[in-house]
Amino acid sequence: MSFFDNHLLNIVIYLPLVFAALLWMLPSGERGQIRTVTFIGMLVDVVFGLWAYLKFDPAGSEFQLEYRARWLQELGVSYHIGADGLAISLVALTVFLGPLVVMASQTYITERVKEFHIALLVLQTVMLGALLSLDVLLFYIFWEAMLIPMYLLVGVWGSEDRQMAAVKFFLYTLVGSLLMLVALVTLYFITGEPGSRSFDYADIYNSLMVANRELSACMAGPAGACDNLTGLARTLMTWGPWMFGAFALAFAIKVPMWPVHTWLPDAHVQAPVAGSMILAGVMLKMGTYGFWRYAIPFFPVAAREARPFLAALAVIGIVYGALMCLAQRDIKKLIAYSSVSHLGYVMLGLVAFTGEGATGSAYQMLNHGVSTGALFLLFGFLYERRHTRLMSDYGGIARVVPLFTATFVIVTFSSIAVPGTNGFVGEFLILLGTFKSGLSLWLAALATTGVVLGAAYMLWMVQKVFYGGLTHRENQGLKDLSVREFATALPFLVLVPVMGLMPQPFLDRIEPSTERFIARATLGAPGADVPESAVRVTAMALPSADVAAAPNAEPSSGSLAARR
Amino acid sequence: MVPISYYLILAAALFCLGMFGVLIRRNALVVFMCVELMLNAANLTFLAFAKQNGDFTGHVSAFFVIAVAAAEASIGLAIVIAVFRSRGSINIEDMRTMKY
Amino acid sequence: MDALKQFFMTAPVDPAVFAQSLWLIIALPLLGAFVCGVFGKMLGRANVYLVACAAVAGSFILSVLAFWAVSHVEGGSPVAMESAFSAGRIRYAIGYDYGTWFSAGDFRVNFGLMVDHLSGTLLLVITGVGFLIHLYSTSYMEHDEGYWRYFAYLNLFVAAMLTLVLGDNLVLLFVGWEGVGMASYLLIGFWYTDNAKAWAGRKAFVTNRVGDFAFLIASFLLVMMVAAFAGQANQANFSQGGNQGERYRAGLVEKGPLSFQALENLATALPVSTDKAPGVAVTLESTIEKGPLAGFTFGGVLTVALLLFLLGAAGKSAQIPLYIWLPDAMAGPTPVSALIHAATMVTAGVYLFSRMSYLLVLSPTAMVTIAVIGTATSLLAALIAFAQDDIKKVLAYSTVSQLGIMFMGVGMGVFWAAVLHLVTHAFFKACLFLGAGSVMHGNADETDIKKLGGLRTEMRWTWATFLVATLAITGIVPLSGFFSKDAIYHGIHHSHLAGYEWAAGAVYYVGLVIAASTAFYMSRLYLLTFEGKRSPEAKIAHAHESAWPMTMPLVVLAVLSVVALVYALPLMPGRNGMQPVMENFLGPVFSNAERIAARGGLVELDRSVPKLGDYIFAWLVAVSGGVVAAFLYLKFFPSKAGQPAPAWARGVRRFAQNKFYVDEVYEFLIIRPVKTVSIVLFKLLDTLIIDTVLVRGTAWVTARVGSALRYVQTGDAQAYAAVMALALLGGAVYALIQVLQ
Repeated sequence: MSFFDNHLLNIVIYLPLVFAALLWMLPSGERGQIRTVTFIGMLVDVVFGLWAYLKFDPAGSEFQLEYRARWLQELGVSYHIGADGLAISLVALTVFLGPLVVMASQTYITERVKEFHIALLVLQTVMLGALLSLDVLLFYIFWEAMLIPMYLLVGVWGSEDRQMAAVKFFLYTLVGSLLMLVALVTLYFITGEPGSRSFDYADIYNSLMVANRELSACMAGPAGACDNLTGLARTLMTWGPWMFGAFALAFAIKVPMWPVHTWLPDAHVQAPVAGSMILAGVMLKMGTYGFWRYAIPFFPVAAREARPFLAALAVIGIVYGALMCLAQRDIKKLIAYSSVSHLGYVMLGLVAFTGEGATGSAYQMLNHGVSTGALFLLFGFLYERRHTRLMSDYGGIARVVPLFTATFVIVTFSSIAVPGTNGFVGEFLILLGTFKSGLSLWLAALATTGVVLGAAYMLWMVQKVFYGGLTHRENQGLKDLSVREFATALPFLVLVPVMGLMPQPFLDRIEPSTERFIARATLGAPGADVPESAVRVTAMALPSADVAAAPNAEPSSGSLAARR
Repeated sequence: MVPISYYLILAAALFCLGMFGVLIRRNALVVFMCVELMLNAANLTFLAFAKQNGDFTGHVSAFFVIAVAAAEASIGLAIVIAVFRSRGSINIEDMRTMKY
Repeated sequence: MDALKQFFMTAPVDPAVFAQSLWLIIALPLLGAFVCGVFGKMLGRANVYLVACAAVAGSFILSVLAFWAVSHVEGGSPVAMESAFSAGRIRYAIGYDYGTWFSAGDFRVNFGLMVDHLSGTLLLVITGVGFLIHLYSTSYMEHDEGYWRYFAYLNLFVAAMLTLVLGDNLVLLFVGWEGVGMASYLLIGFWYTDNAKAWAGRKAFVTNRVGDFAFLIASFLLVMMVAAFAGQANQANFSQGGNQGERYRAGLVEKGPLSFQALENLATALPVSTDKAPGVAVTLESTIEKGPLAGFTFGGVLTVALLLFLLGAAGKSAQIPLYIWLPDAMAGPTPVSALIHAATMVTAGVYLFSRMSYLLVLSPTAMVTIAVIGTATSLLAALIAFAQDDIKKVLAYSTVSQLGIMFMGVGMGVFWAAVLHLVTHAFFKACLFLGAGSVMHGNADETDIKKLGGLRTEMRWTWATFLVATLAITGIVPLSGFFSKDAIYHGIHHSHLAGYEWAAGAVYYVGLVIAASTAFYMSRLYLLTFEGKRSPEAKIAHAHESAWPMTMPLVVLAVLSVVALVYALPLMPGRNGMQPVMENFLGPVFSNAERIAARGGLVELDRSVPKLGDYIFAWLVAVSGGVVAAFLYLKFFPSKAGQPAPAWARGVRRFAQNKFYVDEVYEFLIIRPVKTVSIVLFKLLDTLIIDTVLVRGTAWVTARVGSALRYVQTGDAQAYAAVMALALLGGAVYALIQVLQ
């Protein structure tokens, strides 16, 4: 057991923070140095992130590369991180975007450069932390901490209306998270006896799982069989839907699902290119990731009852988001609404509860990060040159910026899921899963119309911006992509066909997580026959005191835990 | 032996006097003295119960209260003097700038 | 003779070995596209031409080898490939599976390529005609700055089209299906600085996407149906096709449910009803028990899926209701119109249905719908073509019309004739389009046939080849178009669909009208362009003949349009006497469809050969149209020059010229409402109700409540103390009451 076996994920999470500290010591006038240091930090993080990604063994246990240490154990909290297939995939996406975001902001950000890069690095750390936490309270801390750097990114370095957008983003997402906190603390109290309460994911899940099994068993029985449930199962029957609602609202706002999506267009429109890329690339997936990891496994019975509702919202999101795109004049807003549509697909695949749907959904999370991230990146380059977001201010610029146009069109094809690009695999699997899910076939067919609308709005935008005669004299002198800009876009261009033609290595890592997710979700079906071994979470136990890293570790006999 | 209820009634009376003084008097110094009166009413109950129980817990509390009262008096008087210096009045009704 | 036969039946490369290299056929043009697209500007014009043409030529050579390999016969037994789904071997086919593309849950798709006689024929057409058109383009695009882009797109198109025909499963076919759509989008909008052209590209892509939407849903239905079938079928089912249930299920795990072999085995194992095949658990009439399709019958689901495929094919092959994009697609460079919008891409629908012929014959409803849609499209397009003056528009509508004829053939079960017509059409229509391109090239890009005329003497080669192709499409003996069209008509006339007996007669007689119309508008096109005197409105006084890279393909294609007639001649010995070559040749591909049809009683496929009388009748019909056109445009109209036409004639003409206002109807019924709804939803629901009323409303209420409550903060310390005292008192009283109770 080398140092890296134990601490690989710690390194991945905290490396950006270390570099942030380094940056803090640099004089703020040294812009070039600041950018370089940040870039190196992100790049090193890519190395470690990819190492972790490759090291993850799809055939191995559910959570790998775990690390657990004593921390606030009086409250039943511990510092516990680890990765499952989905988390490690999203980690790979996050670290992949890191250096590109820095490169994209090189000329975009000219004020408060040091603070900007510190915010970026801190954001990177908290996002990775939220993905990898296996302690629910730790997750919550990272989850909320994400808001602060993002708030600053939008509010300080955004465009003209940035304050409003930043506050809206902050409050909107905070409302949901606070409800989630309430549900989370409730869970803490109901899942353990006094003295053995724990915030650990495995502990909470396993006690809920036993109760959920009782609940689903009695629901299959005759009417009234559930009346004589006792203990946790009884509580879950009464309060489960409410707690699921609290979790679901928090995550739905983050996704964002219709109708709680309106913060997204504003935040995207005002955010600087880096903010938009991270927001679309990683942060939106936190919502779907939350559904996948917390909301649905914790409350499978309630989730199953809410499934038609969630699926309907997802389909509305797909169609509605696409229709909104057709009504936009602002390019960034159009891309933002296209995110609503795409994330609708992800949610639909998730609530389909089929192997195809869930795998497709997980894959689409990665795809959306790549294709929409690239769209925001490319538009950021254009915005830097012209400082306008209106489609009508462009028109016919393909002649002036051919390389840019070619890049943009390739990414557009990826976004509208032309087969051979990454988007297709995800969308195909999601729709197939939806058809197989037993949700209404009409609903699934309605979701498929997104395929047509997607092509309609994206190509419409491409045509208005790039094709036709040059309509504005100001655009005559637009410069094509510089070497630095093309180098930033190149990884996306490479990933688009690679993820489209060789999806299996990516899917292999997602697959085991999918199976467990499906098993956990099926637990909510009345009379579900899921073996306990398929759903039980096994994770690292709390290390004994002498191994633990926490300095204040004390034999548990004298601590508060014993007296509670 | 005087029954404990007598002490308590006296303490309650003192407390009420102090409280109404705090609520209705305009002069900051008088308000200040009324606060002392309330504290001493509390002291009285402490001592009465201590006497009844026959231990010293009440005395300890009373000493605490006296110490707190002394500290409070010093800071409070300092504030009153400072206010008088800046405004030339210690009328409480004049001191309501921290509104809305 | 025997030696020649022996030569053709011995592949130069061992088929088993060659099968592994099938990917090269796709990879070559793909590589060409990459090189031309990325390095094209650096390479310069000549090198780009070389790379692009060489890639397609290489692909052509490989296709020839592949085709040769599938005809390989060794020791009396033809080449055959292992089937993953049954113990039997697939004769006259080679294939190779390059492993998983993606798999999730129970679903899996493999990179499996397969060549049989059907896809082999198409391979030759795509790469052969494709190469000629590449060659032609080198001259046609010689003055265009974007040549490297053009050739990159063209190579990309060829690669996608080859994927379409080589894929051994529906998903891989769909890759090609959408890939050609994408390449077509790029090529139609090739001159993107013209807004109308870019717009036409987008229209084509979005219209195709409507079809793809149906295609996707149909594929999903098939996935679910295959799963239901694998769960419910018993051994008696599988014995219908001489198969084992275990083997079939193992095949599903190995190659996935959308593999064509899976569908083919499913079709053979699905009898019409139990009285035809006693003991089977699943028939077309039995209901699906489990899963999302529970309650529907197998036959019903199959019909719905095929009808959805029809919508998908209507998108790609420009049939009603989605044909509207094809005429606009003429905005692209003319060689593109020849390759994509005449010879190859638009025939994808015909290929799809021929590929799935075994499913089609299980559903007469789907078949008759295809035939009726084909007939209606064909007639409508022919009528519109009457009044078009743009040379490319006439050819575009004629393409739509000819595709309709192929759909008629597919719909009535004459698969081999439809494929034959596909091939001959590829030859003569490509020749026509390239001829039109040559005419435009020589006349300063003039496309209005009213402003041409008299080119016969000025463009000799173009004239001669155009004439041959016109005669071929018109259906004049002895050109290939006559035979292929007649083979379709003959088959239509003699086939029977259970429950739709009227279809054979109805489709046939409308078909005759279409044939006469075709002769009319094609003669009109030819006469106005090449005969008569040069129009005074012509842009330049004298046309010039094109260079050899343009005329050479014309000649080759014209020769092919004649020679291809061989395929329709009954020269091969078959089971019921002599068979047409093409029928014999495609026999292995359609054998299962025929077996199912013979077994089921749903469809009766005709195997007879047309008699001399049939030929003469068909010829007379075609000639009548041509004669009318000749009379009108050579005698009648020139003699009436200068006199205004009657009002009704002008009205009819305007109506036809405006394409029966179908575009406007779509605009009014679909596009406008969608746009309006989206704007209304955005302004009303999103901006006003959700964002302003709900979101900002919440913030507003909070702010208002806050500012109202501010006034409680009087700043009077005594008031605060009083409130505190009262609250304490209240608390004390409450506690007292609690204690006393």
